[in-house]
Amino acid sequence: MKIIVCLKQVPDTAATIKVKPDGSGVETEGITYVINPYDEFALEEALRIKERLGEGEVTVITLGPPKAKEALRTALAMGADKGVHLSDPAFEGGDSYATAKALARAIQGLPYDLILCGKQAVDDDAAQVGPAMAELLGLPQACVITKLEIDANRKKAVVHRQIEGASEIMEVSLPAVFTAQKGLNEPRYPSLKGIMGAKKKEIAEHNPSSLGLSPEEVGLAGSKVKILKLSPPPSRATGKILEGEPREQASQLVKLLREEAKII
Amino acid sequence: MCRPWANRDVRPYNVGAVNTNSLVLLVLLVLAVGAFGYNALRLFRLLRLGKREDRFDRIGERLKSLLIYVLGQKRVLEDPYSGVLHLFIFWGFIVFSLGTIEILGKGLYKGFSLPLLGSGQPHQYLAFLQDVFALLVIAGVLMATYRRLVLRPERLGGHFSDAAVILVLIFGLMVTHLGASGLNILLNRNPSASWTPVSRVLARFFAGLDLANGTEPFLHSLFWWSHILLLLGFLVYIPFSKHLHIITAAFNVFFRSLRPQGALAPMGLEATETFGVARIWEFTWKQLLDLYACTECGRCQDQCPAYLTGKPLSPKKLILDLQGHLLSQGPALMKRGRSPGNGNGHALVGEVILEDELWACTTCGACQAACPVFIEHIDKAVDMRRNLVLMESRFPYEVQQVFKNLENNFNPWALGWDSRADWAKGLGVKLLSENGEAEILYWVGCAGSFDERNRKVSRAMVNVLQAGDVDFAILGTEEKCTGDAARRIGNEYLFQILVRENIETLDKYRVRKVLTTCPHCYNTLKNEYPQFGGNFEVVHSTEFIADLIDVGRLKFRKDQELVVTYHDSCYLGRHNGIYKAPRRVLRAIPGTKVVELPHSREKGFCCGAGGGRMWMEEKIGKKINLERTEEVLAAKVSAVGTACPFCLTMLEDGIKSKEAGESLKALDLVELVAQAI
Repeated sequence: MKIIVCLKQVPDTAATIKVKPDGSGVETEGITYVINPYDEFALEEALRIKERLGEGEVTVITLGPPKAKEALRTALAMGADKGVHLSDPAFEGGDSYATAKALARAIQGLPYDLILCGKQAVDDDAAQVGPAMAELLGLPQACVITKLEIDANRKKAVVHRQIEGASEIMEVSLPAVFTAQKGLNEPRYPSLKGIMGAKKKEIAEHNPSSLGLSPEEVGLAGSKVKILKLSPPPSRATGKILEGEPREQASQLVKLLREEAKII
Repeated sequence: MCRPWANRDVRPYNVGAVNTNSLVLLVLLVLAVGAFGYNALRLFRLLRLGKREDRFDRIGERLKSLLIYVLGQKRVLEDPYSGVLHLFIFWGFIVFSLGTIEILGKGLYKGFSLPLLGSGQPHQYLAFLQDVFALLVIAGVLMATYRRLVLRPERLGGHFSDAAVILVLIFGLMVTHLGASGLNILLNRNPSASWTPVSRVLARFFAGLDLANGTEPFLHSLFWWSHILLLLGFLVYIPFSKHLHIITAAFNVFFRSLRPQGALAPMGLEATETFGVARIWEFTWKQLLDLYACTECGRCQDQCPAYLTGKPLSPKKLILDLQGHLLSQGPALMKRGRSPGNGNGHALVGEVILEDELWACTTCGACQAACPVFIEHIDKAVDMRRNLVLMESRFPYEVQQVFKNLENNFNPWALGWDSRADWAKGLGVKLLSENGEAEILYWVGCAGSFDERNRKVSRAMVNVLQAGDVDFAILGTEEKCTGDAARRIGNEYLFQILVRENIETLDKYRVRKVLTTCPHCYNTLKNEYPQFGGNFEVVHSTEFIADLIDVGRLKFRKDQELVVTYHDSCYLGRHNGIYKAPRRVLRAIPGTKVVELPHSREKGFCCGAGGGRMWMEEKIGKKINLERTEEVLAAKVSAVGTACPFCLTMLEDGIKSKEAGESLKALDLVELVAQAI
């Protein structure tokens, strides 16, 4: 079974995000980057399917700046077989559509039985690349899955999706696109043996022309959505601990609620 | 007056009086020595399964170890009862070894004499020593028997039959020696009798029996031959017994690790296909020699916090299980060769050592400090952990997030690296990146930077430094975890990444002197960073403050009225020998009464957080921190002083679990000092 996993390199979840003064984006200096956690679930699931079936190939693909190659190397260290890197200045600044389009085009050139992505990237939280890619490739899709059973012979998959207050179980014919939710699995930690082995694995590079796309079709130029401005959430004031006898505390509290919070 | 030593022909055994058949003795001797030699060689060859390791450096220091720990029995004597009985038997063994050569020599050739002793007087000394030691050894054997049968300390465990065989053999050797020696006096009216008081008493006893003519020479032959047969039997038996240690222990002490105790063995990550130890032949020859040296005394187990709280780990069992595996699988491995993938033997973890055993170790070093023959348990456990982590990515679930946090944010908590210096806001602490220079770099450590409770300790440290007018600075967000936990969990790769980055930063600012409040940072920076080119002096807060007090730069103002005890941190105490400084600091605080805990100093009891255990759940047995907290509570003190952020966390948690927060506080020594100035 040939499995393709889409990855995005995102700022570490513990990183302090600072918006650029002009609101056009975020400051990247000093930020540690990691594989988007939901994409890690997708990758782990792919590796487990391959291990369970005892055969197959896992290809990881990412669109991002040269630095994003680190994410591919980590994925290869975890056990993926091949990497594909869509890296070109023209790809930069793209929205979900432009990204999905470039990824779909790259995937069209590869053999596959299954495509897995994270349900969303934790940086822009758009949750659109997976579904959009499925549309562009003309594949069935199931999003936010928490369980995946593959029947390789019948070319079918049974997926469990989290829905409000219940879970939905669906049978989907393969190939298909699934997006992974937390709970699908617990991703592994790459061994040093894996890290060493990853150095020898192949990463194919692509730019718009090698995908048969013009620079206008990708990145910011090919986007349908443009970011106007980013602004940070208002900073939260630190909590206050009231001291003294219960009676004093209560009167202080009433005073604060009336004068500072202005809610009574 | 008779001066027997003037008689130059006196010998301990006048063998000429015995109707020995030298040929029979020769045949028996050849057989016994042959059997011993065959088995000893077999064991020796198994050592060669191990990897190379240089333990031939610093010969002077090694010889000194032999003097102190083998001849002087320093560690054995730390347990007085077994120490004294062992001292008798051990020194008896030395004395009798010389005597034995003499007896065997004479049995083969009448004119034989030990070359070093020359002739005459020294032989009389030897005769005297043998005579006295025979009695002392018998006393030792009786003490040992009483201990095995009545006292029955738990640490000795099973294998009673082996001990019984050995004790009976030694007892028999001594009795037959004295019997033969006594009759010898009787038969020959030997003037050297005055040198052998015990034998003389026996001679009188035999004389009193009024035996029939010819019985005495027969009895003498019987004793003599029994002695020889027991001796040769002993020789044949040794390689199959825990008594092998009479040969291996001295070698093991000689080849002991002379690295700083707290430093793990360095490990190359390049030019190798496998990492750590998965199979027995991946240990070094010295690590295998350790397995032969074990005396099964169980002193390690008696001190092991994991064992004492019901974990599956016992350091003694770990060594004996590996030993059993080496002996049973080694010979086949020798034949097959040891290249990877060549039917190369069983994986140790899972088959010989349980995973839970391996992860239970806190690397506190109590086992190593107690071992009379210097077995190195920690390196073995960590080498096996290294294999699981680096080759198979197998480790307790909770640890993965810690590794990732260390990779991404350079601290074990999932907190952004850029908030590392937030604790110091408003304290007027210099940053090296701003000032570029300071006499002392205060290395805050992850706990002191990110853990809410330990941030208070860091702030107290700043107060003390400022009060002492010390020129210091911090690295701020440029500081990264030293990698102590990563290394001890087995992630050498991650450890070395952190080391390289930290050394680069320290070199950039030409740091010469580092001050830490965390003993783990202290140990790693001081003892392990030099393995990677780190070159700076490292001092711990307790030493530093003790010095400040000594030179009068800290003045205490307030009276504390505190009854306090001190909990030794393993990485400060056992691994680095710092016992005095923290106690000096406590005693210097006016109004403080210091009480010692039953487990203190070299026998300090781990809080449960070392060896990366801080980051693992403790699911099996009793929690180690509770065990320790109960000991502290029993001491009826109002505060327990710590000098380690992890000890502080563990003891505070223990106090909370015991709901004893009203009566007992856990405080870092730095906080106690800051309160009092």
